Amino acid sequence: MGLPKFNYVAPETVQEACQILEKLGGQAKVMAGGTDLLIKMKHGALRPKTIVGLRKIKELRKISFRKNQGLFIGAMALLEEVASHPKVKKLYPAVAYAASQTATVQIRNMGTVVGNICNAAPSADNIPSLMAFGAELIIASPNGERRILLENFFKGPGEVNLNRGELVKGVLVPPPPEGSGVSYQFISQRSKVDIAAVCVAAMVVIDKGRTRDVKIVLGAVAPTPIRALEAEGLLRGKKLADRSIQKAAEQASQEARPITDMRATSEYRRLMVAVLTKRALLEARQMALAS
Amino acid sequence: MREFSVVGKDIPRPDAWLKATGKAVYTDDIKLPGMLYGKLLRSPLPHARIVNIDVSKAQALPGVKCVITGQDIPKVKYGNWRLFPATQDEYALAIDKVRFVGDEVAAVAAIDPDIAAEALQLIEVEYEELPPVFDIESALKEGAPVIHEESPNNVSVTRKIEYGDVEEGFSKADYVREDTFTVHAVSHAYLEPCSTVAQCDLDGRITLWTSTQTPYIIQCLLASTLEMRENDVRVIKPYVGGGFGGKMELRPWEFCAAFMAKLTGRPVKFTLTREEELATGRRRHPMVIYSKVGFKKDGTLVAKDLKISLDGGGYNSMGPTATFLCGNFGAMLYRYPNYRFFGQHVYTNKPPAGAMRGFGAPQSLFATETQMNMAAEELGIDPIELRIKNAMVEGDVIPDVATISSCGFIDSLKEAARMSNWKKKRKSLAPGEGIGVGCYSFISGGVFNWFNTQYPFSAAEVRVFSDGTAHLLTMASDIGQGSDTALKQILAEELGLEMKDIRVTSADTAVTPQADLGTWGSRVTLMAGNAVIDAAKKIKEKLFGAVSARFNLNVIYDMECKGGRVYAKGRPDRGMSFGEAVAMVQKAQRGEPLVARGYYTPRGKGLVTPAFSFGAQVAHVAVDQETGKVEVKKIWTAHDCGTVINPMAAEGQLEGSIHMALGYALSEQFVMDKGKTLNTTFLDYKIPAAMDMPQSKSAIVDTYEPEGPMGAKEVGEGLVSPTAPAIAEAVYHATGYRCKDLPITPEKILKGLRDTKKRKRKRS
Repeated sequence: MGLPKFNYVAPETVQEACQILEKLGGQAKVMAGGTDLLIKMKHGALRPKTIVGLRKIKELRKISFRKNQGLFIGAMALLEEVASHPKVKKLYPAVAYAASQTATVQIRNMGTVVGNICNAAPSADNIPSLMAFGAELIIASPNGERRILLENFFKGPGEVNLNRGELVKGVLVPPPPEGSGVSYQFISQRSKVDIAAVCVAAMVVIDKGRTRDVKIVLGAVAPTPIRALEAEGLLRGKKLADRSIQKAAEQASQEARPITDMRATSEYRRLMVAVLTKRALLEARQMALAS
Repeated sequence: MREFSVVGKDIPRPDAWLKATGKAVYTDDIKLPGMLYGKLLRSPLPHARIVNIDVSKAQALPGVKCVITGQDIPKVKYGNWRLFPATQDEYALAIDKVRFVGDEVAAVAAIDPDIAAEALQLIEVEYEELPPVFDIESALKEGAPVIHEESPNNVSVTRKIEYGDVEEGFSKADYVREDTFTVHAVSHAYLEPCSTVAQCDLDGRITLWTSTQTPYIIQCLLASTLEMRENDVRVIKPYVGGGFGGKMELRPWEFCAAFMAKLTGRPVKFTLTREEELATGRRRHPMVIYSKVGFKKDGTLVAKDLKISLDGGGYNSMGPTATFLCGNFGAMLYRYPNYRFFGQHVYTNKPPAGAMRGFGAPQSLFATETQMNMAAEELGIDPIELRIKNAMVEGDVIPDVATISSCGFIDSLKEAARMSNWKKKRKSLAPGEGIGVGCYSFISGGVFNWFNTQYPFSAAEVRVFSDGTAHLLTMASDIGQGSDTALKQILAEELGLEMKDIRVTSADTAVTPQADLGTWGSRVTLMAGNAVIDAAKKIKEKLFGAVSARFNLNVIYDMECKGGRVYAKGRPDRGMSFGEAVAMVQKAQRGEPLVARGYYTPRGKGLVTPAFSFGAQVAHVAVDQETGKVEVKKIWTAHDCGTVINPMAAEGQLEGSIHMALGYALSEQFVMDKGKTLNTTFLDYKIPAAMDMPQSKSAIVDTYEPEGPMGAKEVGEGLVSPTAPAIAEAVYHATGYRCKDLPITPEKILKGLRDTKKRKRKRS
């Protein structure tokens, strides 16, 4: 199928973009790289009257790091740019790794990290590690800006908490705490270039031998990426021993709500949540101890 | 061995440049003035009676030029087995019933593809749903819904092979095992979706450009379904982006394009989408394979009893041939003194299975080879030793089928074992790793003539010119496998010319000599190659005559064409350039150009093929014991394909085979729900990606096939068979999980690992 007919506007400022979105409401769709949007339009799943392209808004391409504020990834920063950014690789290796494992080379040079977030697929590669780092989204509107924790952004597959006139400017990732480590793990049918059937990120902060903080994020096993809160509870404040990691992994598997689809059965997904959670925690622990 | 100048050399294919730079013209690149775009309306139901079709709204849509249904077309069924009209069970558009989700019901031609797509939605079809069947077992049950009235038990074709005395063989066996294997459907996934353009001239003749492996078969079947004379249909094959068996039949869009071009007077193009290809396209036959084999204590095979049911889907397609061949492949590789086969082709309400690379061999040999590995373990014999003990050798006779005229099987087994360091790796791999073996034998073209061609199986015309060049015309179809290059090499070798001296025109039924059965069954190099040599020899006789006269040579002189010259052997001074020799002949013929035709039809070569290839493959895998994921680390292949015409192309065939077989073994399958295919994009139809490919090392065993052109035989199709059983054995070696039900998925492995643990616990 070819693309249906649509109008295309390319505002030059965030303010202008928000005003257009305010005016057009549900009839408009924002496009960053277009690698999800255009496919959905070709398949008739979306029929926006207008596409609001962000390509001309220069400030959105930015990736920057400040010691006290953390990392900012603009809405137009390409997956490949995030994956290869020296600061991201050094301080947020799980974020760089997730970006580097998204789709294929061609798509990584078109698609964006923020686009991957806003597409809100339960299996999105870039969400779990960012959630594990406690990332926030910066959302602009004609009346100013607001911030929202990434984990509160999703309502369901493809559905997000955005109001009329709002535009995600970028994602802000707090500075990694002392003694922390974050790991991203995923599994798919093909070995490397494939959509995740299950993905897991884990963050641990180890302080004087104990787990000061922990986050476990599960992807593709519920309508949105979710935290495995009870599994986290098993670890918080405790020593991060192999046995407790195993227990937390099994608990996380119980918290998952997987479905059977053509990518995996729910049984297999549940099993894999345990395996990947264990691997993520082990790697995160190793990184925390090495930091 | 004969010394070659062009044959046996790494020759890059001229078309590779064109394709890599986007300049090659494929069917979908063709645009003609006034051309219309066609789309097909397909059945949403797996089994239903068509009560009524109303096309009036679609016809009224501005931009729509033509809408047709089964009611509008000649009631002529088609199918590749013309010799047995009862097997021809398909109309271009469904007339009374639909038999699978995707069955073609109507076609639209409009001024642009979007309008055509919109018009499809305006066609109203009233169906009366019928109960469907989706698997062999339900289709064979008493009282099962009947899919074709002509086959009340849903079995369309059966075949038996028997030689020796199987019961007596088993009575002498020390060890007998019976197993049932199931194998699944996979897609050809050629990168160029099917595409066709038809044009009708003022005399009503049709020219069809189409992405096909078999221009001659399309010409004949299109003529009969249009009720036209064969010679009034011209089929041209442009560059083709792969076929793998999926483009060797007349298909509805080819008929509809031609039929609507006649009705409208305008050219009509159809190009399928990937979704259509995956949802409704031909696929490899799923099979249920029951196999019983008997051995002596020392590993000597005494008997085999094989029963195969093929899940054919809604129509016969190439199923009859697959039914025939899987029984023949079951008898290959090893010396079975007593052998029995029963095969049946069963209709179900799924997209029809057709020919696909290996054509019955990947399925049949998965069973043979897995069972060999199981038997080796139980007999306490190394799997490669067991194979060597029973391996076919040159001169072996398969009753009624063939005499093996060349065979490098034992050498292949030994070489694969040596290259892979088999003995050591079998004993000393890291935990979670394993190594396994699988083998193959394959045909070099079929000797059967179910298409009932009235022409030779292959033909070539060679024209030579006084400027020292030659022009080869052949109907053989290069679909990416490289036959244009290989045939050019054979001609260059025979005439002593260089590649640059030869022009090739191929696969145009109005221009190239009648006929060629097409690209399938690994027939082209052997058959078209022999036709080229036949034509070249006739040219050479004329050239030799002229040179002989010019130098007044004694008649006992042998003569040759080499290095662009024609001369007396051993007396190179008694000769002249190729072009001068051509000029002399032409002068002697008073201007008549020097042209010769060559033909090849296998005769007296048994029932199956003139020549068999052989090979052995070893796979090394690592299995993640927690996730069940398999990584294939390395593949070693040793194969016997006779003289290799182009080693670079043979290597490419091997890589492609490994890629295709890797998907068959591990990741590719159709996810079906009530006859509907759910995974219709490459996102969810899991072809291995470049990063999944293992390292590969190969060796070619030196043999010479007397029936082949310059000693050549099949390469690259048989190679798709050994990989799945080799990987399955390696996974068993690594985990204790034995796969008898392809594909080998992580879930099956994890379950297998749990079962192995349980068994061990029970034992201890």
